[in-house]
Order: sequence, then C-alpha cells, then structure tokens
Amino acid sequence: MEYLLPTLREKREVDSLIRDTIDKVLVLRFGLSSDSVCLQLDDLYKSAKDVSRFATVALVDVDSPEIQVYLKYFDITFVPSTIFFFNAHHMKMDSGSADHTKWIGTFQKKQDFVDVVEAIYRGAMKGKLIVSCPLPPERIPKFELLYKNV
Amino acid sequence: MNHEIMKKKKKKNDNGEEQQFEFCEVCKLNHNQGRRHIYFPAHKSSLSALLTRLQSKLSDVKPFLKTPMLLPAEHAQQNRLWCVFCNRDVIELDTPFACGKAIEHLASGEHYKRVKGFLWKHGGGTHRADSFRVVEGDFKKWEKKCKAMKTEAAKAEAVGASNNIHNELNADYLNSFHENNTNSLDFNITNGVVVPLQSYTNEKVQVSCSVPYSASEAGSTSYDMRGRMQMVDAQCLKNSTGFMDNHLSSSSHVDYLSNGSVQPGVKVFHGDSRSLNSMNLQKISYSSKEAIGGNVHTGATPPWFNSAEENEIMQKPELSNFVNSKAGKSSKLNPKRVGAAWAERRKLELELERRGEVITKDYDANWLPNFGGVWQSGTRRKSRKEFQVENKKSLEFDSQSESFVPLQPYISKRMRRDKSE
Repeated sequence: MEYLLPTLREKREVDSLIRDTIDKVLVLRFGLSSDSVCLQLDDLYKSAKDVSRFATVALVDVDSPEIQVYLKYFDITFVPSTIFFFNAHHMKMDSGSADHTKWIGTFQKKQDFVDVVEAIYRGAMKGKLIVSCPLPPERIPKFELLYKNV
Repeated sequence: MNHEIMKKKKKKNDNGEEQQFEFCEVCKLNHNQGRRHIYFPAHKSSLSALLTRLQSKLSDVKPFLKTPMLLPAEHAQQNRLWCVFCNRDVIELDTPFACGKAIEHLASGEHYKRVKGFLWKHGGGTHRADSFRVVEGDFKKWEKKCKAMKTEAAKAEAVGASNNIHNELNADYLNSFHENNTNSLDFNITNGVVVPLQSYTNEKVQVSCSVPYSASEAGSTSYDMRGRMQMVDAQCLKNSTGFMDNHLSSSSHVDYLSNGSVQPGVKVFHGDSRSLNSMNLQKISYSSKEAIGGNVHTGATPPWFNSAEENEIMQKPELSNFVNSKAGKSSKLNPKRVGAAWAERRKLELELERRGEVITKDYDANWLPNFGGVWQSGTRRKSRKEFQVENKKSLEFDSQSESFVPLQPYISKRMRRDKSE
C-alpha cells in the first residue's frame, strides 16, 4: 500500500520536499517497509487524499543510509514515527506523551489521522508551533521513551 | 419596497446587549443595540444617504412653493411623494396645483411632529426638522398665490376647451405610465395653452407661440434647477424621433399635438418631463447627432475592430493583475502563520525556477530543517546548532584527526587592534 505514497530514500529528496511544501502540512512518516505496523499506517493513503488540500503525506525509509542523519536529528527510535512540518518548520503536538516532537505509532482510525493533521494545520495557520492533540487519550498509542537507553 | 413598520419592543436593561431586537427603518436591519445603534457609523451613513435623497425630492417641491403652477388631473397621477417620516405616500389628488398635496402635507402639524420624532429616534439632529417641512408662513403665502391663480384661470375659459381635447388624447397614454416616486415638476402643463413644452424648451428655443402665460414663464425663469431643465430638454429630444429633433420650436409641438396623431414619442415625452430621477433614459449628448467619424448607418468599422491593438496591450497588464491577485490571495493567508517568511521566500524562488532563471541553491547537503529537539531546552536554532556541533564532534572523533594548534602567547584585543592599525 505504501507505493501510493511517495517513498523517500535520499536526504536531498526529503530536503526538497520539506522546502517545497508551502502552506501545507507535510506529514513525514519514518518507517520500514517491512514492518507490519508501518504497513497498517500506510493504509492511510486513503486519508492522504482527504487531507490533500492542506497536507502532503510522504514516507521516509528508515533503512536508507542517508536518512540516518535525520534519525539522529529527530531522535527517532521507534518506528513508525510521524513528524509534521509546516513551511519547513517543525510542528510539535502535545499528545500527552513525553515526546511532543513526533507522533509515534499508528492511528486507530482514519478520522483520527485527519483530525490530527487538521489540528496541526489550524495551529500553524495561527502561528503556533505547538498544538494540542484533539484525540482522547485512549486512542493515542503509548510508548516508553528512553533517554539514551537508560 | 416594503415599508412595513415593525413593532418595537422597548425594554431597558442594564446590559445593552440584552435588549430586545428592534428594527431600524433607516438601516433596514434588526439590532439589539438599543439607543446605541444610532451612533454607529453604518447607521449614520445610511441615515445621511436617506436624508440627502429626501432633501433632493423636497427641493423639487420647493420651487412650486414659491410659484404655484396649475396641474391637470391626469398628470397628477405621476406626482407623488413618499414621506419617509410619516411612512406614507402623498398623492396629488384633488388639487389643481403642482405638488399641492405634497406642500400641504409638509406644512401640516402632524408631519412636523413625525419629523421631529424621526430625527430624535434616528439621531439626525432635531434642529434640522425645519428643513424637512414647510413653515407656516411659507405655506400661507403659497395658499394666497394659489387663490390668485385660480381667479386668473377662471378668466381663461375660452382656451380651456381646446385644452380639454388634448388632455383627452393624452389621457389614454398617460394612464399607462408607471408611477414615479418623485414629485418632479410637471412644467409642461400650461394653463389654457396648447404648448406643453414651452417652459422647458425655453433655454434652447425661442417661444414662438404667443402665449403669454405669466405663470409658466415666471416658473421657468425662477427655475433654479438648470440641471433638471437640461435633463428634461435632453430627454424630450432623445425620446422623440429624429423628426422631433428638428422641431424644437414650440409651435411645432402645437401642430404635433393638435393633429391628434400622437406618436409614441409624445407619450414618453410627457412622462419624462416629470420623472427625472427615475427615468433611466439619459441623453448622451445632444451634439452627437452629427456624424462623428461615422456610425452604423454610415457604415464605419466597429470600434472593437479598431481597438484590436489596444487589446493586445491590455493583455499584459491583465496578466500582471492576475499575478497580483494571486499574490493578493496569499497575503490573505495569515501573515503570522508558522513559517510565513519562509513560505514567501520559497514561493518567490519557485516562481523564478519556473520561469527558468538560474537558481542559486543556497542550501547545502547539510541543511537541516528547523526542529525542536526532544530533550533539549532552548530555541530551535539552538537545538539545530547543538546537533550540528555534536555531529561534527562525532565526525572528528571518527576520523581521529587532531588539529594541532600551536601554542601562542596571549595577544590581547587591544594589541591586536593596534597592530592592525
């Protein structure tokens, strides 16, 4: 299913996509093509069309060597991780977990994904760099964040 | 136009917003602002527009106050005045004089009361009430003049017969006219004279017909609204056919009418004279009946063919307008949105790229987007810098390159500066 979303393997591709998505939310999904959870998430290509008016969705292959710098930069340890950008600026979302910089895990429903992207978009248009999550806590995937493997 | 008077519920509360909704007749909207509404600029502008319109209509009536003129019954049907203050039509019935009923109404005490009430309610300034009514003194003078005219009219009975004939002819056409909501003058009516247009063709044409109707002449001379004269003059010229254009003398009008062959031009002819505000027909220019460079009848080329070159020139500005409108659209996007500056810059860059101009890539392979770190505190730029620093450190560590910095004695800034000088 992922083939319907553009998969990026090179840093410059990621860069150009980040830089060229103007006035739209950029949803970058860092994942593995072999991971089942990622595949489930990638099922969201359907919702990619729904949000296409204000968002662009793309998949970044975590295994690619060029992407490693991004993994380090974004501190991505869990997969899938979704990072939101708006006008080349990173958008944070407070979803109740410790890590506001990205969305870790999948979405339970397609509508949840749409809601999250919409919240990001609204906040960004108002000039906020961090928005709060519109989903109730039970629908937010939980994880444990380790700091340097502690 | 629906001039229903809505019932107002007045309820005084401490909080103005909790008041009942009222209907403001001036703005034609419902509001719950209570007395505050009249001070809002929107209301003020609508009120001033309304009062200006009313004043213009009243100024039509005013000349008749000074010099009453007689009005045949069938023409009176087109004269009516909508009194905003009393919310009713004042139709010219049962009065031989032009705007007679209107003047009577404006002079009445009831109307004056309503005017004051209206101005108080809508904040127009009650001191202006006098400008919307007829003062008693003026009214009495007017009545006197009317009486005088009546006695004169009684004398000129001989011509009255012929007048009736023409009135009969015209009545059929006139009845089909639409009513105008102006009480415009009907100065083409002369008493006992079969020359209706005399008064307003006065400017352009010598009155060849020897009908010494003092009132009409007086009316035309004391007529201070020249614009209207020209308008009506123009209208009469426009509405008449070319045939009529050549017959500007009033005597020809006499012939025209007396023949009984009333052409359509006449129908509009009479109607126009009294409806200057509502008649949509306007003469464009009297002098244009001369052929200026040819027209359809002379077989000249249409102007849109001539302006083909102009259109080409127009295209480019249109394009730029289009681009500007697009840029205008982006300016509607919240300028405070995240990354607005970046977006604008990038758009320009993309625009340049699209046009095929040289792109100077001012970002290198190590570019990283703005990212707020997870564990770092501080600004995002800081987090990026920290990351880059860490990166470099790790790289250096990997490459194990030690740059040997030779030890040097300390040179203070001052010494360095002095040296450079």
